[in-house]
Amino acid sequence: MDGFTISLLAAAVQSGTPILYATLGEILTEKSGILNLGVEGIMMVGALAAFLTALTTGSPALGFAVGGLAGALLAGVHAAVCLGFQGNQVVSGLALTILGTGLANFLGTPFVGKSGPGFTALPIPGLADLPLLGPIFFRQDVLVYLSYLAVPLLWLFLRNTRWGLDLRSVGENPAAAAANGLNVVGWRWIGTMAGGFLTGLGGAYLSLAYTHLWTNGLSAGRGWIAVALVIFAFWRAERAMLGAYLFGGVMAFQLRLQAAGTHLPSSLLLMLPYALTVIVLVLASWRQMRSAMPAGLGINIEPPD
Amino acid sequence: MSSPHPPLVRLEKISKSFGDVHANRDIVLDIHAGRIKAILGENGAGKSTLMAMLAGQLQPDGGRILINGQPVRFTSTRQAIQAGIGMVYQHFKLVEAMTVAENLFLSQEKGFWLSHRRMMERTRQLAARYHMTIDPAAKIDDLSMGERQRVEILKLLRRQSRVLIFDEPTAVLTPPEIEQLFRALREMSQQGKAIVFISHKLDEVMDVADEIAILRKGRIIDQLDVAEVTSKAELARRMVGKEVLLEVDRRPCKTGNVLLEAENLSGEGLEGVSLQLCRGEILGIVGVAGNGQKSLAEIICGLQPPASGRVRILGSDWKRFYATRTDKKTLSYIPEDRQGLATCLAMNLVENFLLTTRLTFSRGVWLQRQQARSRLQGLTGDFDIQPPNVDATAGQLSGGNLQKLVLAREFFREPRVIVAEQPTQGLDVAATEEVWKLLLAARQNAGILLITGDLAEALALCDRVAVMFGGRIVDTFPTTDSEKVERIGMMMAGLETPGKVAAG
Repeated sequence: MDGFTISLLAAAVQSGTPILYATLGEILTEKSGILNLGVEGIMMVGALAAFLTALTTGSPALGFAVGGLAGALLAGVHAAVCLGFQGNQVVSGLALTILGTGLANFLGTPFVGKSGPGFTALPIPGLADLPLLGPIFFRQDVLVYLSYLAVPLLWLFLRNTRWGLDLRSVGENPAAAAANGLNVVGWRWIGTMAGGFLTGLGGAYLSLAYTHLWTNGLSAGRGWIAVALVIFAFWRAERAMLGAYLFGGVMAFQLRLQAAGTHLPSSLLLMLPYALTVIVLVLASWRQMRSAMPAGLGINIEPPD
Repeated sequence: MSSPHPPLVRLEKISKSFGDVHANRDIVLDIHAGRIKAILGENGAGKSTLMAMLAGQLQPDGGRILINGQPVRFTSTRQAIQAGIGMVYQHFKLVEAMTVAENLFLSQEKGFWLSHRRMMERTRQLAARYHMTIDPAAKIDDLSMGERQRVEILKLLRRQSRVLIFDEPTAVLTPPEIEQLFRALREMSQQGKAIVFISHKLDEVMDVADEIAILRKGRIIDQLDVAEVTSKAELARRMVGKEVLLEVDRRPCKTGNVLLEAENLSGEGLEGVSLQLCRGEILGIVGVAGNGQKSLAEIICGLQPPASGRVRILGSDWKRFYATRTDKKTLSYIPEDRQGLATCLAMNLVENFLLTTRLTFSRGVWLQRQQARSRLQGLTGDFDIQPPNVDATAGQLSGGNLQKLVLAREFFREPRVIVAEQPTQGLDVAATEEVWKLLLAARQNAGILLITGDLAEALALCDRVAVMFGGRIVDTFPTTDSEKVERIGMMMAGLETPGKVAAG
């Protein structure tokens, strides 16, 4: 395989990592039965919080954590609206996207173009020298390696732990879960906020590792791609990884084409990832999408009297 | 005779009301380990409320619950579960997308990691201990109703529940599955579990229970040992009750030609149902809910095609009748679900009026709203709909007024056939009487099929009644046949077929 392809695939992994974090977060949220369309806004706020923390403290690691916490906090607003006040989940999520994006762009204005401390590539000794796999997967930064761990961990949590089972039952059939003595509202709070944390990490990756600087509209629709990917992945962590890298690849490819100076208009290239989103969703809906969706998704439950 | 041991659960003067309705009044009940207790009562007698209080879903307004002599108060399902009380709901509380084993181990108290292999192994062991068979790896979605119920039971056994409550457990089962369930109930009771069996089916109760408590209108009116039961007919009479609360003046009406004919309808819960409805009569379909009345109404009213058999309405075959649409002088359906099927609560009264009369008020593609509006304004006066504001939404009307709106709309269509399903359910006495009078008046020009579970209503209104049980019409007879009317309760409880008189 030639150098161009390998570097493109490596870029696909890097570009797909923020999408992967956000998709994992949304999977966790939706598994608990809450639909959060605020992913884009949560990523933006996570990105800004991470960037500012890293800038002021000089610690990208701390920035990464704060990005996640900011995401969890904003997701908490969604939980409060939907679980505390029985609000409409779609409307609340959309509002969160508008709020998050607007807030991040507004508060970030003084920092536009400023660069801050961040993560740089840290090849893993040994693994980095593997043919093909090494340059693609193991010459990345720490946050990418962390996402490699997050995928099996989420899978294990949902499938093989008592809490994962309880959380899934709350998303599938809240009435049955309640009859089993589970605290449905409590579990949905946990699912939404933990999902927001992961989504916030995705945003933090953008400003700390992907760009090292702040620009307005940094997430550029990645949050929406993550929402679509959840469906493409049939709510499964391992498939989310595949989908995230696929989209990361298209984004990286489009950048490279632009840099190489093709005659195609750039707006057409910019459209590529979103066109792919539509195609992927159409393909996904052909198959088991319906049966893979948590049956209680997006349905509010009445609080017990 | 009651068991010599102290009761596992004792209910002391438990009461519960919803608004003005007393769902339960001063219930006193003992539940013993190793015994099967049946709570026998009609729909609406208060069985489900009583059990919801035991299962922690509702809190009693008065009285107390004692477990092993200790008073307890459940404010959540979880507390009742922890106290060893488990419930198998009529509508199963299972997560359909998960496996049997996963459902069993939901909401565990301890541990972090789950081993799917061990969960399946323990499921298998548990099932074997109570002589049940189940595939622990099967998805709930793929299971029959009987198997799903088994999962519910195993779930309770896994939690080591000491009291197992079954709410109408046979309603969704086939006869062989019912046999299996009863074997499991006896097995569990022999192993020391206390079983509570809620039912309105007399035969089943006699078959499986050790003790019976009869619940009627929220009160326990009798408690006895199954061995003490001398007359099933007496039990049936006490369960169904038979006071006629209201009297309406029903003059005989000359019956005319046949308007509606059903021949040998089967499938969808029906077995060979045939009936004829003539002009000028009210034919009552009486029976305990869930014996096929729903399917019968849906087929006649065009909501589902007959699986087999024939329906002729006003001389046309079913298919042809429902292929041609007219508003006037046709069939009117007054469904039981008046808020979901008959009206749209968010729309105003004029729009609701137009739901079934829009063809009358159409010119080309345009609706003649003003005409509909003034017509309805006249009708609100005639039918005394309160408030008489046609711009109000249907959701603002009380249950009785909503029903009057439906009747006003349907009678405006001058129907030839009326299918009225539980038309007075949930209405107060005054509204009930008005609805009755309206139905009697409508019979001059129409034939009315009155589907009701209320015996008093059937006897007050109907010229003939057909008793339904198990998807069949047990017998059809005029309400003047006092000998047969006496036995309606037993027919409803499935104790009597036309050919045989049940042993007393």
